[in-house]
Amino acid sequence: MTTLALTGFLGLSAALLGVGVFGILTRRNFILLLIAVEVAMNAAILNFVYFAAFPPNGGSGLSGQAIAVVLIGFAATEVAVGLAIVLALNRLKGTINVAQATDLKL
Amino acid sequence: MLPLISIILATLAVGTVATFFAGARARWVALGVSTVFLIEVALLFAGYTGWPGYSTSLVPGFSDTETYAWIHLSWLRINYAVGVDGISLVLILLTAILQIATVIYSWGETHRPAGYFGLVMLTCLGSFGVFVALDVLLFFLFWEAVLVPMFFLIGYWGGPNRRYAALKFFVYTHVASIVMLVGLLALVFYSGATSFDFSSIYAAARGLAPEVQVFLFLALFFGFAVKFPIVPFHTWLPDAHVEAPTGGSVLLAGLLLKLGGYGLIRWAVEVLPYAIHALQPLLFLIAFLSIIWGSVLALAQRDLKRLVAYSSINHMGIVLLAIALDSSLGLLAAVLLMFAHGIVSGLLFMTSGSVHHQYGTRDIHTLGGLTPTAPGLATLLMAGSLASLGLPALIGFPAEFTAFVATWNGIGYWVLIPLIVLVVTAAFYLWMMQRVLFGPQKGLPAEVPGLPWYESAGMGILLAFTVLFGILPSLLVNVIVNSPVKGFPGT
Amino acid sequence: MGLGVAIAFGEMLSPGTYTNVQITWLHLPPAPGVFPNGFSLVMGTLVDPLSSLMLVVVTVVGFLVMLYSIGYMHTEHGLPRYYAELSLFLAAMTGLVLANNLLEFFLFWELVGVCSYFLIGFYYEKPSAASAAKEAFLVTRVGDIMFLLGIFLFFYAYATAGPNGGWAANGFVFAHNGSPFLAGVMGRNTPLLTVAGLMILGGAAGKSAQFPLHVWLPDAMEGPTTVSALIHAATMVAAGVYLLAVTSVFIGFTPTDQLAIVAVGGFTTLFAASMAVVHPDIKRVIAYSTISQLGYMVLAVGAGFAMVGLYHLFTHAFFKALLFLAAGSVIHALGTQDLFKMGGLKKHMRVTAAAFAIGGLALAGIPPFAGFWSKDDILGSVYSTLGSHPLYWPFFLMAFAAVFLTAYYIFRAWFLAFSGDHIRDPTLPPPHEGPWVMQVPLVILSGFAIVAGLFVFAPGFASLLSGAGIPPTYTPTDLGLSAISVGLGAGGIGLAWSLWGNGRVYVLPDDSALQPLRRLLLNRYYFKVAYDAFGLRVVYTVARGADFFDRFVIDGTVHGFERMFGAASDRLRRMQSGVVSDYAAYVIAGLLAIFVLLLIVGPYVVARLGGA
Repeated sequence: MTTLALTGFLGLSAALLGVGVFGILTRRNFILLLIAVEVAMNAAILNFVYFAAFPPNGGSGLSGQAIAVVLIGFAATEVAVGLAIVLALNRLKGTINVAQATDLKL
Repeated sequence: MLPLISIILATLAVGTVATFFAGARARWVALGVSTVFLIEVALLFAGYTGWPGYSTSLVPGFSDTETYAWIHLSWLRINYAVGVDGISLVLILLTAILQIATVIYSWGETHRPAGYFGLVMLTCLGSFGVFVALDVLLFFLFWEAVLVPMFFLIGYWGGPNRRYAALKFFVYTHVASIVMLVGLLALVFYSGATSFDFSSIYAAARGLAPEVQVFLFLALFFGFAVKFPIVPFHTWLPDAHVEAPTGGSVLLAGLLLKLGGYGLIRWAVEVLPYAIHALQPLLFLIAFLSIIWGSVLALAQRDLKRLVAYSSINHMGIVLLAIALDSSLGLLAAVLLMFAHGIVSGLLFMTSGSVHHQYGTRDIHTLGGLTPTAPGLATLLMAGSLASLGLPALIGFPAEFTAFVATWNGIGYWVLIPLIVLVVTAAFYLWMMQRVLFGPQKGLPAEVPGLPWYESAGMGILLAFTVLFGILPSLLVNVIVNSPVKGFPGT
Repeated sequence: MGLGVAIAFGEMLSPGTYTNVQITWLHLPPAPGVFPNGFSLVMGTLVDPLSSLMLVVVTVVGFLVMLYSIGYMHTEHGLPRYYAELSLFLAAMTGLVLANNLLEFFLFWELVGVCSYFLIGFYYEKPSAASAAKEAFLVTRVGDIMFLLGIFLFFYAYATAGPNGGWAANGFVFAHNGSPFLAGVMGRNTPLLTVAGLMILGGAAGKSAQFPLHVWLPDAMEGPTTVSALIHAATMVAAGVYLLAVTSVFIGFTPTDQLAIVAVGGFTTLFAASMAVVHPDIKRVIAYSTISQLGYMVLAVGAGFAMVGLYHLFTHAFFKALLFLAAGSVIHALGTQDLFKMGGLKKHMRVTAAAFAIGGLALAGIPPFAGFWSKDDILGSVYSTLGSHPLYWPFFLMAFAAVFLTAYYIFRAWFLAFSGDHIRDPTLPPPHEGPWVMQVPLVILSGFAIVAGLFVFAPGFASLLSGAGIPPTYTPTDLGLSAISVGLGAGGIGLAWSLWGNGRVYVLPDDSALQPLRRLLLNRYYFKVAYDAFGLRVVYTVARGADFFDRFVIDGTVHGFERMFGAASDRLRRMQSGVVSDYAAYVIAGLLAIFVLLLIVGPYVVARLGGA
């Protein structure tokens, strides 16, 4: 039963990852891109949570939960930095289209 | 016992640094260090313990060995291990002779002399290190240490097309070095040697499977053979020689090519006896190709230095042939040939350089009838050419003779190939002399500066050794044969 | 040099003794494997009948030529160089004569070769001299290579069959009291010895200018006449014959080799003599004559009469040096070598004219001059072998026919230069005899040219000649042959007199059937043209082609790689678009690739290999 449930949950996070990757590949708007990255990241965080609930080899599952919490904090930091870049980009270029932010190209 | 090799290394290292910072007095520092180096090499000869029944060294058969732990991890044992045998001793002598001759010859270098002499010293330091290193990593470090100064010597003090030549030289030899490094590391790890030391690799490599030996040998051979250079990986050599300053050419031909030969003998032939046996036909083919190609191409050259460069390919082809014979006589011949070629090609490059300094060109078609304007230079060029084409009583003859005896002993009538090529070798030298030295004068500037004393002195040193060892080759032979190499009496 | 003379005459007084002194030059001690008995090359001196005979020639002629040079060369520049090179030559030649093994022989052989190179190129400003020097070195080099191979083969034969076994060349010295030990050890006709002997013949042919390596000697006349007399007539070119003699006495030739040697020698006598018949240059006429006479010596050695050949070498050295020095005297006086510009010189240069005539008579084989005894002994000796070797016949006949031509061409030269009553080219300076240092050697050599042949009847010399091998002998058959050959010689002189005597100049009619032959001879059978074409056209073209290949194909490939990597990196550079989502796409593509490798390719490979 547990294995079957785990499979379903993993399918969910795989779907989320797919949505995120699709977003990363297709969006040119920086904010949408950030959202897509967040979605993909949340898929990974969900995986940690699932394995904490169904620990393999009889583990406690605590480490999975701990990492999930750390990652949530991490995602928040990332969004904060990302949005700061968006603001800076908008001030510099007047646009938040990533295709035009190529100043660092050699 | 004094750790003589470390003392020499320290002398050269301190000398190199001192030369770099000596400014206008760099040549005096370089001369002093070279003299000390020569004396120390004499001490090394005097204390050589490789004679039969005399070995007191840590590594069997090697003399003056020193081993100190360098990088020791749980599975990695890299030592600072050095030592000499007869083969390396002779090549060390060559290093010392060429170094002092080059320093004296270049006495008039005014273009950033500190850098120039410092790089010359560094090249010799690296070569000496290669000849004494008995540890794979140490060997590789010194090996690479030779490339860098030569790159700068060509690239900064060279001729008009120096950047191209320097880059070509560096890319060729560096790619070869990397293949060689992979081969050396694979040799260590596949053989299961307990350390990076020559002795432990030597012992462990006996147990390698034949196919593995062949693959390792091919990797090592490629690394060493580009330095030789072998056809068809030879085109860096003429370009590098033409562009290099004279001192650079001398060290390039005299020392760098010898590193390839020495490396092949020490780290491939001795260590992987099965492989050389299995690959003999391939090696012979390459050697014959190099012998013929070098000689025939030299016939078509217009530039004196290119001509000597192609003759180097020819001579190093004979060295490869002698090594590939896999006999003790062949090894003896190979070492003698390397020594002879080092001295003689050094002399020839110096004379070409002097011709350039005197007349502003090295073009054989432009020049003519030099002898009356510069009899001394003409004599030196003639002596070098005659030594290079194997005239008896000069150093080339005993070496080539031994090589041909070894070839005849090993593969019989195939010796005809190098023998017939000898006629071509004679032809291109004689033809060059006819056009450059004899006949009516042409292409000469009105004012010839005259050969400066230091250039004559540098060439004179090399000529003296050419004659000395040509008349008394046993001085070298007795050292070489007392080496811990299969088939030599020392074992 | 005085020491050499002393040794030589000392040896003459105590014939048949061998004095052998040697040191080890290059030695490898014995070790298991390749050197069971070590490997040793020695340098030593061996004084025996052969070498003492040569030593007399080298030192006497050398001394006289040095003396003559003082007069002949006094107006030249570069005299220190001249005397230094001449002295080096004499030292090397003495070393060659005294060598006690083949390797040492080769060493000095090369040294005399290089001295010859220097001296032919003495007037190096002249392009023809520089070219002749190069040609001489190269052509003899071809022979030297064969010689070297011959040495290897003999070393090898000795190593496998010799008493010591292994590569102990130490035992390989010429100290076997005149027995051909190698042939004795290995049997008379093994293929290895045959090839080795042929190679030795090749070396000798290069040095002694035998067919087909003869082209360099006439061109070597670009050097000073003194050099031609010493090196290119009396001593160095005789070294080839000496080599053959030494080899035949100490090592032994197989019958096949002997036939080849006889063929080369016999053919060369006639071949070279025919070219001398038409040549207008006084020195080249004598040069062809040298080639022809060396052919006689080679013939004798090949037929198994080494000492007879050396006997002719001995007499020839004196009269040929005499001829050259007399010609040098003429050249010194007139400044030209063209016979057709000379004439009537006997009135002005009596000593020279007499000397040239004595030399010519000796060369033509008129008794009692030196050449008669030795040349007729060669003919007689070879004749005595004809019964057992029918193949010798044509070469014997060639040598016989060459007697007639020899007498003809040398007296053609004499009549053209000395007879008549005036010089044909009036622009030449008035002729005069040279200083005494030039006349004294002429007189001394004339004396030798008269009596050297008679030495064979002196007891000491005769036993010296019998010291190694079959000595010169005279039998009734020889006398009959001698009569014929003297007759031929006299006929040749007579023909020369009728065509050229008394200042006459015989002009071959333009419609004569002999014109094509004359052109062929004047062009030296087109050998030089062919060799030059081979060297310049074929070899140089191949070299240029190879150079092209090297520059454009090999280096072109290198540059192709360079361009390929350059272009590839140019493409790769464009991937860096600066667009963040592109980079993200690369990251994802990389991730996918890792997944594919880990999850699909990896298990597949493990499944295929792991099971094994």
